Amino acid sequence: MASRDAAPRVLFLFTEVYANGGIQRFNQTILDACDRLGIRCRVLSLNDSADSTAKRPQGSHSVTGFSSNRGRFVLAVLREVMRDRYDCVLIGHVNFLVLSTMILALRRWHAPRTMLIAHGIEVWSGIGGVRRYAMGRLERILCVSHYTRRRILEQAPALIADRLVIFPNALADTWARVPPVPFSRPLPSRFILSVTRLEPGDRYKGIATVIEAFSMLADESMHYYVVGHGNDLPFLQLVAERCCVKDRVHFVRGVSDSELIALYQKCDAFVLPSGKEGFGIVFLEAMFFGAPVVAAREKGAMDVVRDGETGVTVDFGDVIAVKRAIEKLVRDGELRQRLRSNGRALVTDGGPFTFTCFARRCAEVFGMGETSPA
Amino acid sequence: MCGILGLLTTTGIQPPFETFVAALDRLKLRGPDDAGTWREDGLLLGHRRLTIVDLSQAGHQPMESSDRRFVIVFNGEIYNHAELRPGLTPQNGWRSTSDTETLIEAYRAWGVRCLDRINGMFAFAIWDRTEQTLFVARDRMGVKPLYYSHRSGQFGFASRPGALNMLLADGALVIDPEALRVYLEIGYVPAPLSFHRDMRKLPAGHYLLVNVRGVRRVRYWDFRSIKPDPSMNSRPEGELIEELDALIHSAVKLRLMSDVPLGAFLSGGVDSALVVAAMKSAGVGHPKTFTIAFKEKAFNEGPAAASAAEHLGVDHVHETLDVNSLLDLLPAYIQEYDEPFADSSAFPTMAVARLARRHVKVALSGDGADELFGGYHYYPLIDRLAPMLGWRTASKRAAQQFLKRLPWHRTKLLAGALQSQNTVALFHYLRSVGKDYPTLLSGDLLHSTANSETWFAQYAASFAMDLSAAETAMRLDAGVTLPDLFLQKVDVATMAFSLEARCPMTDYRLAEWAMRLPMHYKLRNGETKYLLKKVLNKYLPASHVYRPKMGFGVPLAQWLRGPLRTWADELIHDDTLMSRVPLDKARVRQLRQQQLAGERESHPLLWSVLMLLCFVQSHDAARALPVIAYREVA
Repeated sequence: MASRDAAPRVLFLFTEVYANGGIQRFNQTILDACDRLGIRCRVLSLNDSADSTAKRPQGSHSVTGFSSNRGRFVLAVLREVMRDRYDCVLIGHVNFLVLSTMILALRRWHAPRTMLIAHGIEVWSGIGGVRRYAMGRLERILCVSHYTRRRILEQAPALIADRLVIFPNALADTWARVPPVPFSRPLPSRFILSVTRLEPGDRYKGIATVIEAFSMLADESMHYYVVGHGNDLPFLQLVAERCCVKDRVHFVRGVSDSELIALYQKCDAFVLPSGKEGFGIVFLEAMFFGAPVVAAREKGAMDVVRDGETGVTVDFGDVIAVKRAIEKLVRDGELRQRLRSNGRALVTDGGPFTFTCFARRCAEVFGMGETSPA
Repeated sequence: MCGILGLLTTTGIQPPFETFVAALDRLKLRGPDDAGTWREDGLLLGHRRLTIVDLSQAGHQPMESSDRRFVIVFNGEIYNHAELRPGLTPQNGWRSTSDTETLIEAYRAWGVRCLDRINGMFAFAIWDRTEQTLFVARDRMGVKPLYYSHRSGQFGFASRPGALNMLLADGALVIDPEALRVYLEIGYVPAPLSFHRDMRKLPAGHYLLVNVRGVRRVRYWDFRSIKPDPSMNSRPEGELIEELDALIHSAVKLRLMSDVPLGAFLSGGVDSALVVAAMKSAGVGHPKTFTIAFKEKAFNEGPAAASAAEHLGVDHVHETLDVNSLLDLLPAYIQEYDEPFADSSAFPTMAVARLARRHVKVALSGDGADELFGGYHYYPLIDRLAPMLGWRTASKRAAQQFLKRLPWHRTKLLAGALQSQNTVALFHYLRSVGKDYPTLLSGDLLHSTANSETWFAQYAASFAMDLSAAETAMRLDAGVTLPDLFLQKVDVATMAFSLEARCPMTDYRLAEWAMRLPMHYKLRNGETKYLLKKVLNKYLPASHVYRPKMGFGVPLAQWLRGPLRTWADELIHDDTLMSRVPLDKARVRQLRQQQLAGERESHPLLWSVLMLLCFVQSHDAARALPVIAYREVA
């Protein structure tokens, strides 16, 4: 661990930390990594509530939530920047770019290094003149996937390409410490699994496609578990009913991490042919627990799931291909084993998406040189 | 082109054979030339034949495979069957030149995968005696219909719902509540729904496997996930024109396979002219073309069709009618569409089919091009409106208030469109028959069924990523509206006169190509069917190609205020009849009053209601009152 005095002071401006979702998990992981590195962090989180932040263990970082109150959030950011000298300000969402411009204006002398985390969908379009200007003044843009980097450069070709670095997500360290427990209800002998939000705006996750593909499988002993919740549940239940598989499609919510591990470990395949994953951290989770993965050949997921190596990929929306992929995985034990082993290699023993590797990338980004995390 | 019927039972209980024959007779117009039945344990197959290919008795159906393991009943045409034959080896050689024989031998050789190799319009069933499995399939784009029912150990199928209903339910009508709601919202019933509760329509591009374990429905072809190909943007436009032209020619040439005379429908539009041009190029010397001309200028495409025919050098036949004379077809319209069907363009379609049948047995049509290549006026509108859907609520509300205050009905409709949450909802609104009119349905039905928009949303959930709003609309039209409204209309209208219609634009190779074609080759600066028109411009002068599009319509609003006024009023004021359907009587009558007064353009919704009432009325009230089967409400 770096000595406390040498460690940089970093201000994080996040949308949310303590909730489910890819961005939130990324935020938690980066804070864990900073803890590991001894980086002194101050976190201002727009959408977290004071309650949610108070209940969490906060290591060497302190988190303040603003319960979606934008005015208070902005004032707090400016106050924080004026009061303390931070070595670095990490902006967790493109919508906060205006804050980075304000910070740089206020701190013209002794300006902190400013960086943006570009996750995915929020930067794939809509980068207009103001955002381009703000991006141009950042020291770095940390892109979670190659696709995200490419999309930003397509919209802002004047940016210096070297400043856009690939900074992929990683499996949170905590997963290895979660004690697995049996799933609270008896599980069928064969089932496929998806883990995702179920909001009407998130239909790009491909759950309706999976339901249709699932309904075409010859094996009627197969079940489908969808872990997640959201307002699109009635629609997806309707789709399952119309496909005549409502008895074998199970929407479950409130699943603990321990139970989720049981589902990952026992499923025949983890299927999420999503069309707009910025990165797709759930794929890493599935791989860590040995679930063979089916994903769509789209955007950020392609950095993690490579066809025939770490999973099976299909075109987004291709119902027939999803059906065939599931059948192939169920039928071909050798393929399943190969995918399991290659998938685990990505997230264990120094693989590129391990927490250790992620912490090393953090150390580099925050100017801690070759500091090796403990 | 034929009619098929079948019944597979696992209970040992079968309806009397006479009932089966009577149900088969309901398909007589689909196949007046020959009839055949097949009986074995638990299985009944029936076929009505319209002889087109191999006119001899060797093409008689039901037909056995060369090894006698399989039996087939088949409705449609396999256009590439001659190409497939060299790869097949029937025992004791070929017995006929029929595509039916090719199809059953293809299934014998390749099983379900035969569907990947055949190009055609079809609905067929093949019984496998060894596996005791029935294989039922429908063509990729849904040109030929197929209805089925599975309950109480009985699986039945038919080309027409009326025949199947007669076979399984003795003609009693039990209306599917969801189908009823969807119908009253969009004017037709999309697959897999059927108006009859225990019946389903096999969706396009699907097959069924039926055995004692049950019924499994599988999609075998799908264009939804095909992405527009950006590499086409870098190719010269001329190259794309040639490629599209070649594809259309190939599709048309395949569809010239026939042992009887064939012709084509020719309107004044782009699509049918392209088909006819391709027929000429394919070596049909002077193809016969058919047009219905109307005395009323507003509906008359006769001169444009005649001009196209002159340029193309074809043998053109036209019949000039008083538009009101189409009303003679109303009884046939009600009788032949076994489900309520609210597209009034069925009238001119039936009229042109009647005309063509006097001269030929097969006619090619241009259906399918509008959906694949961007022919409808609302595609540019959807592209313009879609960005507004993302506006802040206050801005949208302000725009709506402004539009509502304008004196025109269309601006009021536009205000309604702005309420849509997303592109699918916007498309649904623009295609709905009632638009912003308050629902006519009773509360019970509304609570127990889902909005028809959910069907479109379900279909669109598997669309390729990042499609534009107009592309989304076009795919919804190609996948839902085309098979379940327009191709259904053409199939029934032509079959009512024992005429086979072939639609080259629905060739699956063309459909896949169209899905890859970038959007600006479909719509450009408000111009619809951009590339298709460029192709036609090779054969016809620009003055013809770029003339304003004329709808294939009838003066429905005028009819309902004039010659159909009494008929419509009697239906709507028939309390017994109205009590059989879950409609709010007062609101229906108010709708009628507003329509009579010319207060709003509500005739499409009114027509839907009238067609529903006719449908219910046409069922024998003495046999059974129609029942609305409500789902349990949680």
